[in-house]
Amino acid sequence: MKMGCLNGTTISLSCLKLAFPSYPSSFQNLPFRRTIKPLSAAVQTSPATSPSTTKVEDQGARSHWKAAIDFKWIKDNKEAVAANIRNRNSDVDLELVLQLYDQFFNLQKEVERVRGERNAVANKMKGKMEQFERQRLIEEGALGTQLPLLCLLDTRVLHAGKNLKEGLIALEEDLLKLNDKLQLEAQRIPNMTHPHVPIGGEDSSMTTKLVGSAPEFSFPVKDHLELGKELCLFDFDTAAEVSGSKFYYLKNDAVLLEMALVNWTLSEVMKRGFTPLTTPELVRSSIVEKCGFQPRGNNTQVYSIEDSDQCLIGTAEIPVGGLHMDSILAETLLPLKYVAFSHCFRTEAGAAGSATRGLYRVHQFSKVEMFIFCRSEDSEHYHEELIKIEEDMFSSLGLHFKILDMASEDLGAPAYRKFDVEAWMPGLERFGEISSASNCTDYQSRRLGIRYRPLEAPVASPRKSKSNLAPPQFVHTLNATACAVPRMIICLLENYQQEDGSILIPEPLRPFMGGRSVISRKS
Amino acid sequence: MKMGCLNGTTISLSCLKLAFPSYPSSFQNLPFRRTIKPLSAAVQTSPATSPSTTKVEDQGARSHWKAAIDFKWIKDNKEAVAANIRNRNSDVDLELVLQLYDQFFNLQKEVERVRGERNAVANKMKGKMEQFERQRLIEEGKNLKEGLIALEEDLLKLNDKLQLEAQRIPNMTHPHVPIGGEDSSMTTKLVGSAPEFSFPVKDHLELGKELCLFDFDTAAEVSGSKFYYLKNDAVLLEMALVNWTLSEVMKRGFTPLTTPELVRSSIVEKCGFQPRGNNTQVYSIEDSDQCLIGTAEIPVGGLHMDSILAETLLPLKYVAFSHCFRTEAGAAGSATRGLYRVHQFSKVEMFIFCRSEDSEHYHEELIKIEEDMFSSLGLHFKILDMASEDLGAPAYRKFDVEAWMPGLERFGEISSASNCTDYQSRRLGIRYRPLEAPVASPRKSKSNLAPPQFVHTLNATACAVPRMIICLLENYQQEDGSILIPEPLRPFMGGRSVISRKS
Repeated sequence: MKMGCLNGTTISLSCLKLAFPSYPSSFQNLPFRRTIKPLSAAVQTSPATSPSTTKVEDQGARSHWKAAIDFKWIKDNKEAVAANIRNRNSDVDLELVLQLYDQFFNLQKEVERVRGERNAVANKMKGKMEQFERQRLIEEGALGTQLPLLCLLDTRVLHAGKNLKEGLIALEEDLLKLNDKLQLEAQRIPNMTHPHVPIGGEDSSMTTKLVGSAPEFSFPVKDHLELGKELCLFDFDTAAEVSGSKFYYLKNDAVLLEMALVNWTLSEVMKRGFTPLTTPELVRSSIVEKCGFQPRGNNTQVYSIEDSDQCLIGTAEIPVGGLHMDSILAETLLPLKYVAFSHCFRTEAGAAGSATRGLYRVHQFSKVEMFIFCRSEDSEHYHEELIKIEEDMFSSLGLHFKILDMASEDLGAPAYRKFDVEAWMPGLERFGEISSASNCTDYQSRRLGIRYRPLEAPVASPRKSKSNLAPPQFVHTLNATACAVPRMIICLLENYQQEDGSILIPEPLRPFMGGRSVISRKS
Repeated sequence: MKMGCLNGTTISLSCLKLAFPSYPSSFQNLPFRRTIKPLSAAVQTSPATSPSTTKVEDQGARSHWKAAIDFKWIKDNKEAVAANIRNRNSDVDLELVLQLYDQFFNLQKEVERVRGERNAVANKMKGKMEQFERQRLIEEGKNLKEGLIALEEDLLKLNDKLQLEAQRIPNMTHPHVPIGGEDSSMTTKLVGSAPEFSFPVKDHLELGKELCLFDFDTAAEVSGSKFYYLKNDAVLLEMALVNWTLSEVMKRGFTPLTTPELVRSSIVEKCGFQPRGNNTQVYSIEDSDQCLIGTAEIPVGGLHMDSILAETLLPLKYVAFSHCFRTEAGAAGSATRGLYRVHQFSKVEMFIFCRSEDSEHYHEELIKIEEDMFSSLGLHFKILDMASEDLGAPAYRKFDVEAWMPGLERFGEISSASNCTDYQSRRLGIRYRPLEAPVASPRKSKSNLAPPQFVHTLNATACAVPRMIICLLENYQQEDGSILIPEPLRPFMGGRSVISRKS
């Protein structure tokens, strides 16, 4: 097994990471910190006290997080956003979003106005206090108690301050509620779409490349279920009793084939400069949401844990996306390239039909996933790199496949563009999806709070930045399947079947299967 | 990577398996099959119609399954069972069990008597008779039927009560097992010696931090405390450990498996674990009866559920790779530092189904495999015969391996090998049919087949990855903070011999 390891630069990455504490710092400084619950604390918004500070996302809350959506941009590009929502077949109400945003914007101004007034009154009171204190000190020395001081204060000022404070509290509560409403609707706005993406439903997806050719067989072809049964590679029947339908045991050589696929894939992707990871497979549901998935609801693909806010991951994209949550990364660290091995769990609610036969659609599977964090200007380039890695790997396994530029209605909300790879499965007699590579631009990073600080301030700005630091920018995130094991096993069994029911092992995998070249009943 | 595969005999195993349908056959023949719900159907008990038919367990039900507990044996060995319950520090009420069993036994007889009367009446009605006589029989049959329904309902309820208490009875205990609490566990073997260091020793957390091998802080934010990411060489070390372990155990004739990691909670119960309750170690799935496995022992135990295996198939030896999930409710303290106690980990588990007379032999084989593997990694460890109070309910005997962890400055458990005898098989319904009827019986068996026997099950850790990573990092640390890779793992890490910052 040849597995190179990563160089020193990558090794030191996590040490340089700028991690935020779980709660925004403004919260930690509040005097009533111990009496307020995290849930209510998390919906506090900290007023922008300095122009160079961008809004800090609230991370302590579970399900009450806020996405850093660029409402001004949406407002300024209303027509384009509306067209995109139509093209993506989304039912989000853009008018409602803009209306809520205007209300929010005005209310925020009002809150700031009242807060200013209150601060002015407070300052006045402070002046009075000092005056009184001065007098008291002069006349009586330092022996007076605190209590009588209040009685001597200007009651009118006190009253005005009290009214303002009460008004402010009510306004701030309204603001929070309005913000929740705004976020609820606005978070459903899909990412914008790459101009080359074909507009329409699945049928509009465009094949951009066809690689290899379908193998020809001089004997009746079997599907992977039949082949696997003869070679004792799977057990679906027992798994149905033990766990439920669409679960399975891998047995005998199928276990070795899975290990070989995972080891080979990790080693190939690491050669290309990706840092290997294994990830938690239980994550907080807020992380699932921030990555653009719906952890709740009737048609959710997500298994939730009872009496907990955790769920099982459907893809390593989620915990890897969370790896740099709430950080500002140095530009020199980018791109950050990861290759993560995990088990994935999906309810597959609503899935039915022949496409669900055998290993094609299952509740649990092993997957090696690539993930890149990069500068916004580089994401298109890395998207091409990811699809090129997939192409290289599937080619070297000798598969016949096509690459598709997926149509707008077939994109998940986070994707700006998505390339799927569909490989020929001779037993199933059709092409089946084996991988997917998405550029999510800043959709996930605006939810996960992942930014980077450019080395230099934009040249366009003539004024020198106050802090000498360029303002942080949201990174772009990309994810791509390196190897979804069960679908790959389908491809290998069905494409490499021999007349005697044995399976030829493609060259690249042989060193990872003890040099063996065939899977057979006698092996 | 050298991985031999299994021979033809093993390959054909699952094809020979005798699988039962999900519902007992008696249920499928009922005329009201479509109108009755599986839950209520599952608590039906089929009367023993032939003396050679052993009771068929109800498998369709979730949580209303029945263990094939040998109540007669318990009654006949009351003193021994009571002593065992004390020795295992169990709070099960044996008197209550026996009392419920007597009630159940008597009620069952009564049900059979009434059923017989009713059948007699039904038979009588087949003949010719006066109108008056027929009317009387109809009336009598109706009364008997109503009484029977009520009695049968009582019987079901009583059986539920009996099972609820009786399922809590722990397995019997091997006579060599030391009686008492954890302190009574007996070291049966000490292997190797602690490495000596000429420099200040670091623990695995510090070593891992310097080598960028783990990320606990981010995992705490993303998932919760005691979760982690493995990074860089730790990922390769995990893969190497798993590949090496699978290959070593397969060499010894075990069939490799990967398993479902979500299973029905009834399977968890049948393996002797508690999927519900305040102190459960089990994560349950919302709006479902599924839970996450805490060990591959559960899905592998379920592999031959409700089967009668041919004796020639035994022993069945499996080595399963899975991820394991544990809530670790109630765990706290320094023993929980770093990778020692975590919510999710990779594990390679061995499991054997065998004839009852062979389980002690295979228990020794399992502990020998563990010893060989941990020795070849150069670890310093002791093997303990665990004391009675430290055994889980299913175990008849359990050997733990505790390895020296120089950074944590103590021995820590890295594996466990249990002989569960027929505790799990009586719940999972796994039997085998002996080739020949017992010689002791002079009468020829009616069916020419020996009655099926419950198999014995054994399970043992081959490699619990995070604990093994602790051992390797802490024992093989070098002065410069690098880690020497033990010889056997090198072929599985591309021939590399060291993990260092520059590697």
